[in-house]
Amino acid sequence: MYPIWEGLFVHSAMYVAIIATFHVLASHLTVAGAWFNLYIERRAVRENRPELYEYLKRSALGLMVFSYVFGAMSGVGIWQSTTAANPRGISTLIHNFVFYWGSEWYMFLIDVIGIIAYYYTIGRVSKETHLRLAWILALGGSGTLSLIVGILSFKLTPGAWLENGLSLAGFYNPTFWPQWLMRFAFMFVITGGWSLIIATGIPRGYFEREKIIRYAGGIGLIGLVIGVCLWLFWYEPTLPIHARTVMVSPAVVPLTYPVIITGIVAAALGLGLSLLAPQLQRRWIALILMALIQAAIFGAERVREVIRKPDIISGYMSSNQLLFNDLPARGIASEEANLKRDGMMGNLPFMPSPGRLSTNTKIANPQLEIGRTLVTQQCSACHNVSLQTEIRVVNRRFVLRSLADLLVARQRTTAAEIDVYIKAIQGFPYMHEMVGTDAERAAMAIYLEHFITQTYDNQATTISQR
Amino acid sequence: MEIQDMLKMMRDPLGAPFFPVVFQVLLVVTWVLHIHFVTSAIGSSAYSIFAFLNKEADHLRLGRIAARLTPNMVGLGIVTGIAPLLFVQVIYDPLWYAANTLTGFWSVTFIFVVMGGYSLAYLFYLKGSKDGRLLWSAVLSLCLLCFAGWVMHALHAVSIRPEQWTYWYAPGGVIDTRGVIFHAYDIPRLFFLLPLQAGLGFAITLLFVAWYLRQRADADPVFLEWTANLGCRIGKTVSLLYGVAGLFWASAEGPEFGLTAFIAVLTFGLSVGLYLFFKSVDKQPIQAGAKAIGVWFAALLLVAIAREVIRTISLGRFDYSVANYPYIIDWGSVLMFGVTSIAGVSVVAYLVMVIYQAGLSADGTVSAKTERFGRIATGLLGAWFGFFLLVGLYTALFLQQ
Repeated sequence: MYPIWEGLFVHSAMYVAIIATFHVLASHLTVAGAWFNLYIERRAVRENRPELYEYLKRSALGLMVFSYVFGAMSGVGIWQSTTAANPRGISTLIHNFVFYWGSEWYMFLIDVIGIIAYYYTIGRVSKETHLRLAWILALGGSGTLSLIVGILSFKLTPGAWLENGLSLAGFYNPTFWPQWLMRFAFMFVITGGWSLIIATGIPRGYFEREKIIRYAGGIGLIGLVIGVCLWLFWYEPTLPIHARTVMVSPAVVPLTYPVIITGIVAAALGLGLSLLAPQLQRRWIALILMALIQAAIFGAERVREVIRKPDIISGYMSSNQLLFNDLPARGIASEEANLKRDGMMGNLPFMPSPGRLSTNTKIANPQLEIGRTLVTQQCSACHNVSLQTEIRVVNRRFVLRSLADLLVARQRTTAAEIDVYIKAIQGFPYMHEMVGTDAERAAMAIYLEHFITQTYDNQATTISQR
Repeated sequence: MEIQDMLKMMRDPLGAPFFPVVFQVLLVVTWVLHIHFVTSAIGSSAYSIFAFLNKEADHLRLGRIAARLTPNMVGLGIVTGIAPLLFVQVIYDPLWYAANTLTGFWSVTFIFVVMGGYSLAYLFYLKGSKDGRLLWSAVLSLCLLCFAGWVMHALHAVSIRPEQWTYWYAPGGVIDTRGVIFHAYDIPRLFFLLPLQAGLGFAITLLFVAWYLRQRADADPVFLEWTANLGCRIGKTVSLLYGVAGLFWASAEGPEFGLTAFIAVLTFGLSVGLYLFFKSVDKQPIQAGAKAIGVWFAALLLVAIAREVIRTISLGRFDYSVANYPYIIDWGSVLMFGVTSIAGVSVVAYLVMVIYQAGLSADGTVSAKTERFGRIATGLLGAWFGFFLLVGLYTALFLQQ
């Protein structure tokens, strides 16, 4: 329906993943950081301990510069990258949830104006007024998180929306509640790590330093335990069977789970150390801990994205941006049925008609070009389908699930073999049937054979980005 | 495929969740807020560089204030930019998505560029604005922020030319999926909207800052008078250039859409109006701060309307109209947005009042009336969570079955 942007050097989906991971770190930090600051500030006010404001000032500056503004920027970055990588997916979300996002925008405004007010008025306004600002930041951040969880979880479990088409049904979908609580719990782990970075920067011997480190460790550990329990006993059992099947399939790169588990274990050890022996905590430990947490987030977010495959909106739109089901409640019909019958080329705005290609005298092999166009449209959302999105360093290739590699691994390297393979592709739990006519499938096979040749014209070793 | 058929096909089948014209109004209004912060950021960034190169005492003092303003303005520019970004996707989805995919690489790079610009502006404010060290960071920051403006301009220019999209994507039928080419741009329009509006926005900011700070007991009236006069001088000079750039814009983009006279009259009229405003306050510019903000937002609103007229006319050539955009009223959405608006506007208003009042005195006094309002606003925000959970409960019980 739209032009395809494959990415350049790095695959478009990886741009999304990199920005999204950073955004998760920054945005979760704003929420939990605000709650932690509120906790510290309440103690400062109630117990009349002005020395705690030293921590609050450092933390607020860090949060303002790094978390709030970068969180907002990377949020926009997710929009830009998902728009470029999969416009129809984001369009579905927008047309369902624009007012929920509009509501979240108010919370963003509260966050960003609030942190400016909070930081610049420390020690200037009355303690009661400042404490209210702390409350506003904590509530505003929580509002942001609450609103985005409904939109995010909709993609995997649209629930009754598929029957009634109501935005509320899609928003408060079956995985909304466990994911909402789980994210709240895990964000305290991130906050624990963040607070350790800030608190270990306070000069040693400062008499509240160890106490703050201990608080941070305790709160982070509680969040970690609750979060893991929610995952195991509520979120994971609520996932659709299909998602649980894909979760243990080759679609998830095997390294992912060790990375996640390492992050969890490291968080438990680092936070435990802070709780039991705060005097031993060091800034370098806190920084390593934060890096491992970030890696675990990356892994977890990748899993969340992959288990939805082959759909971008489960049960409604596949990763190739075409509607494969009707939505009678909204008067919407599947797009794939007609395209399977009539073919893709010339029947979508940005799929040139075969005639246009065959009359172009500069094209030596129109079938190859048709195949390339079709493969790009159907496969490039999840796979590397051209040399454009690979990076070669010496004799190593960095690519995202290269189709050339997959076909070679499965010993399907000639056009005839690939044609048969594509015909049966829906046998994998994470793949849909190819959309198009038999002739179009044959053209795809011709291109893929060519792509394998291009890819393996030297002896590079593959490292998948996944 | 005819262009009008293509545009209709590209519209999201779900349609808008409310009257499309409401999104159009929201788009225009929120863009005004966004462009105000964006251009003020660029204006203050440029001035701080000038001030540290000039090295004259008053300029240096004001340059430090400008250096502090820049990153905050960028942050607010980003956050206020989210709203128009939302609304444009609802009613102009074919345009926005086609432009972003055709220019995919730059669309994604945009945010890294803004992050770089923001970080360097903050670096200069925190570490360099005391003595002018690290001026390179301010210069690089300004370059990056301007480049981000260029990217957004190019996206918009591509979006209003649907007749070119298929050619740009697949010249001769061969698709180009790199997204690295800036397919369309209009330099006079960009010059009008970015550097010149940055100059005017900064001039208005100076008038406002001087007017605001003069109310403090520890104010330096001589410096503030100088600041307001500088704002007035910049305003008068730039408003004339604004008109000239407007005429160039009219001659460059106007003929394409049959809007030469409209753009020329509007932009030149704005230029004259703004010049007359600055002229009318140049005897006592320090008194003009609040009025200046009002005049500036009115001017930006006219610019926003002009942009919208150009887009409407461009799409009208292909029978695409916001008025005809399919919609279905989704009451759940409306309820969520309506209730959040009440809490959100209240809290934002309270925060702005706290910043405003706390900055007026050395001890940061906030009035008792504002404090009462703050209690109500915070209560509303807390109550919002009750509403959020109740709606969720209702949905789980009655709409998920």
